[in-house]
Amino acid sequence: MMVPANARWVIFATLFACLMLSALPLPISWSALRPSWAMLGLFYWVLALPHRVGMLSAALVGAILDLIEGAPAGGQALGLVISTALLQLNYQRVRQFDIWQQSIMMGLLLALTAVIERWVQDLLGFPAPGLRYLYPALVSIFFWPLVRELLRGIRRYYEVT
Amino acid sequence: MLVDMAAKVHQLAAAPADGVAGLTQSFRSRESLADENERLTQENLILAGKTQRLAALIADNARYRTLMNAASLVSEELIVTRIIAVSPDPVRHAVWLDKGTRNGVQVGQALLAAEGLMGQVVAVGEGNSRALLITDSSHAVPVQVNRNGVRGIIEGTGQLSKMTLRHLPSTTDIAEGDLLVTSGLAGRFPPGYPVAEVTQVVMAPGQSFAEVEAKPLADLDRGNYALIVATQPAALDPAALDIAP
Repeated sequence: MMVPANARWVIFATLFACLMLSALPLPISWSALRPSWAMLGLFYWVLALPHRVGMLSAALVGAILDLIEGAPAGGQALGLVISTALLQLNYQRVRQFDIWQQSIMMGLLLALTAVIERWVQDLLGFPAPGLRYLYPALVSIFFWPLVRELLRGIRRYYEVT
Repeated sequence: MLVDMAAKVHQLAAAPADGVAGLTQSFRSRESLADENERLTQENLILAGKTQRLAALIADNARYRTLMNAASLVSEELIVTRIIAVSPDPVRHAVWLDKGTRNGVQVGQALLAAEGLMGQVVAVGEGNSRALLITDSSHAVPVQVNRNGVRGIIEGTGQLSKMTLRHLPSTTDIAEGDLLVTSGLAGRFPPGYPVAEVTQVVMAPGQSFAEVEAKPLADLDRGNYALIVATQPAALDPAALDIAP
């Protein structure tokens, strides 16, 4: 039985807010410490409403992220689609995890996304030596509890289904 | 078009911070404005004075160059641009600028800070453009040592304060503190702009190449404004190079 969608705009609004946070200006030397807000937000909605938010939304969020980073199009979109597919296959299991287990799971998914993005960019001839590209995934681990509690509160308040 | 869209997103994200900054700007006291005005007037005077000397130097230089049958330096037209956003990607050193094709910006034009070369324009939209900084790991600039004219290619490493000069023979005359300026080879960057200062030279015995590290002179992480060099350097005039045997 499919529940009719309710307050779908909340999903768009929160994802938009997350994207804005991702585009917030930071000095270059600090940019490695920025949590991947948009991806965390996306993962929350995939986990909470897997029948509403899935790979298409992931591709969209990824494409916008590629756009605002000025990256060759498609790297993050591809990465996000693959990690979202994994999350959708395992959402029931991941929902049962306690908060820190879940955080580490999110970190791993973000690292996977980053690795795929790196891979695409390396193939296109934009190399980046070092493991700096993985820092945001690491930082995001500590922000997942915050994102989850916040978005859960919003979801329950607006009864998003 | 994508560049313009990305710039719009960035402007939207920066709107709250810009708003606060604009508000504090408009509520500044009269005295501080008067102070700044005075300081800027003095600075302007000093700069104008320096430019006068520069004009004479350029004329001198042009004379010497004609004596030596070398191609003359063209005077570049500069476009002042505001840096409106920095790429959120930690491994990509790119900035968005608020000038585009409408203002005469083209792909390949050099971006300057007050202290030296900053990068080059890699994508233009109608009213915005994106520039890659010289420290990006996919960026390279042909340079020469200001002291003796040794040529090389300096590459970004993805770190803000470190660049490397690769494939310099280990017998090359290069030392710590040497100034590297654009050589103008390859025609992309106009010649003569300072790029970096050599910070470390390692001549390992048995290695055919020296390991040279340099620090960019421009404050790539600071400042709101930059200059785009609008005129491309003129192609070498073959007649000027026609040295009689």
